[in-house]
Amino acid sequence: MIDKNMRFLVVDDFSTMRRIVRNLLKELGITNVDEAEDGQVALHKLKTQHFDFIVSDWNMPNMTGIELLRAVRADPQLKTLPFLMITAEAKRENIIEAATAGASGYIVKPFTAATLEEKMGKIFQSLNK
Amino acid sequence: MSDFAGMEDLMQDFLLESTELLSDVDNKLCELEKRPNDKALLNDIFRGFHTIKGGAGFLNVSAMVTICHRTENLFDKLRNGELPLSSELMDVILDATGVVRGMFTTLSQGLSPAAPDAGLLAALDSALAGNLASPAAPVAAPAATPAAAANTPDWNVLHAAVAKTETPAAAPAAVAVVAAPVVEAVVEAPAMPVAAAKPVPAKMAPQQGMASAPPENTIRIDTVRLDQVLNLSGEIGLTKNRLTTLRTEILQGNMETNTLRSLDEAISQLDLLVSDLQNAVMKTRMQPIGRLFQKYPRLARDLARQLGKEVELVITGEETELDKTMIEDLNDPLVHLVRNAVDHGVESSEERISVGKKPQSLVQLSAEQVGDHIVIEITDDGKGMNPEALRRKAIEKGLIDAETANGLDEKQCLQLIFLPGFSTKDQISNVSGRGVGMDVVRTNIQKLNGRIDINSEQGVGTRISISLPLTLAILPVLVVRACNQPFAVPLAMVREIIPIDVSAIQEVSGRPTIVVRDEILPLKTLANLLNWAPTQKPQFGVLMQSAEKSFILAVDSFVGRDDVVIKPLQNIRPKGVAGATLSGDGSVVLVLDMEDLLTGQADAQSGGAMMLRNADNYSY
Repeated sequence: MIDKNMRFLVVDDFSTMRRIVRNLLKELGITNVDEAEDGQVALHKLKTQHFDFIVSDWNMPNMTGIELLRAVRADPQLKTLPFLMITAEAKRENIIEAATAGASGYIVKPFTAATLEEKMGKIFQSLNK
Repeated sequence: MSDFAGMEDLMQDFLLESTELLSDVDNKLCELEKRPNDKALLNDIFRGFHTIKGGAGFLNVSAMVTICHRTENLFDKLRNGELPLSSELMDVILDATGVVRGMFTTLSQGLSPAAPDAGLLAALDSALAGNLASPAAPVAAPAATPAAAANTPDWNVLHAAVAKTETPAAAPAAVAVVAAPVVEAVVEAPAMPVAAAKPVPAKMAPQQGMASAPPENTIRIDTVRLDQVLNLSGEIGLTKNRLTTLRTEILQGNMETNTLRSLDEAISQLDLLVSDLQNAVMKTRMQPIGRLFQKYPRLARDLARQLGKEVELVITGEETELDKTMIEDLNDPLVHLVRNAVDHGVESSEERISVGKKPQSLVQLSAEQVGDHIVIEITDDGKGMNPEALRRKAIEKGLIDAETANGLDEKQCLQLIFLPGFSTKDQISNVSGRGVGMDVVRTNIQKLNGRIDINSEQGVGTRISISLPLTLAILPVLVVRACNQPFAVPLAMVREIIPIDVSAIQEVSGRPTIVVRDEILPLKTLANLLNWAPTQKPQFGVLMQSAEKSFILAVDSFVGRDDVVIKPLQNIRPKGVAGATLSGDGSVVLVLDMEDLLTGQADAQSGGAMMLRNADNYSY
């Protein structure tokens, strides 16, 4: 159900975390993954290369995940890209903020490959509707 | 057995990255004390704890998650102006970072850290609840089990709500249902006996800087540097091909001038490439000393607070690069010197005001590359050292006899602090002053082929300089000959080479000496130092200088200078031999460890303060 050839962008300032997310994606058979260490770098990559899916941390220096999300949604080329927000908070206002800004999904650290798969499955389901 | 089987790699990365992050947080905390309202700073610290928590969560280190989560919440409140920053709060936060650091050490040994001290958690909780109108749900530490699953319906409901109505107000009811079990699950997880909660002792972790973690065995290298290595090894490969072709030609009897010239060219090129490669490889091991320095502001701050002093530690030259192993070995000596500067070096604020100085004292820590050496200096603007007091002290402690002591000039008196068992404080504080310090510091620096010097002016301050070679991998040496065998001595110690004129040798108290430019220098024969039978009268003297003593090493002849790679001798360790190396003609050359050679000799002579006396009864 998830196309294994999709190209993913993992955005996090903590390289260990990028590696963790990459490993989890790999468990799901997804290997076409690039990384960015903050929103700014991510936005640059998004504008210059093709991606099918963004997995981004919320809290980052320079440009946060939510700022990246808003920038992506405001860009005519990128606005339909699936965007999964990772955060450590399960707080209501955060979830609302992400949803309002147009996140396709929201996942709370720490999570397992199964949770990630389930979240992505939901996102693709709603895309194909 | 490791508690983290299968995750070692990830754990290594996590530890490396988070330890740096935590040091950065520590420094920012020190800055925060100066600018408590700096929002950017508060934000950075918040993010630091947040990031560590996130990583720890994935690695199932629940103890670390618990503590980071509370600290992070605290900073969330601080940055939103919901809590004022007090020095008590600061102490609690600093304790928390200390505990997290301790957990890193535990993790690096492959063990799961124990749950954090209940008292600290209680202190964090009360700080969190402290100035709040409603203490509701202050500590929702996520449990180690992925509590994340609980928010699945959460998102859907909310997302639907937002998507339809565009007003978040419609959702709260649905959210509350999900939020509640999350909090419950969490409160049970840490299972802290509240009864055991007690106020955190003020001086909880003054020593964490000293805790020696096992050495790191991974290294992060700039890819540009790695590419350079790759590039050069490729070039060497090409040159090798050229040489192989030339060898075939020569073996086939082609000895034309052109062939030989090509051979010469290829070898010259190889020469150049190999030295470039050596440099490039060396550079991959170079790390900015800032990695070490960044731990010290916190150290100085804690210590100053404990002693009731006002001290500012100013760091410069943190980008200076040094071999990785050296950086690790430098930590203990530098921690000691920073502590010394804060404890013994600078005065209390009252004392400073009474002598007309600013109440806040300044300790500077700097690093700089000077030629092929790195110079690290620790300077304080304290009371300086009193040479007379040092002299008296050394005599009182029986470290040297009065006669020797009186023969010392001021500069030499300062060197007395390097004697084993010397401590200038009458009262032993728990901070420094156990007298185990400076001699160990010097020994450690000398092990790195470095030098340590003291300059001190009473009332103005003290400056301690450490001079180190850039790397330990390649050692410049002078090759000398004695007893028909070559020996290498570290070039760093060599001042000059003089021919020995037998008539210039004078006996001073039965010891042979030579006067070189008004300086009386003892003459030591290499053969005698090694306890070998001399085969001829030494012809040359190598003027050697180490930390505080100079002498002339008498050798039969000398070969020249060379850059060598020392190979340690396995199983055997002859006195005064640091290792062995191969010379250009393929023969084995012993590399001498002059300090070891001289120390042994001095010990055999008498009991006390021989390092200052240059005791030497060896006949010339």
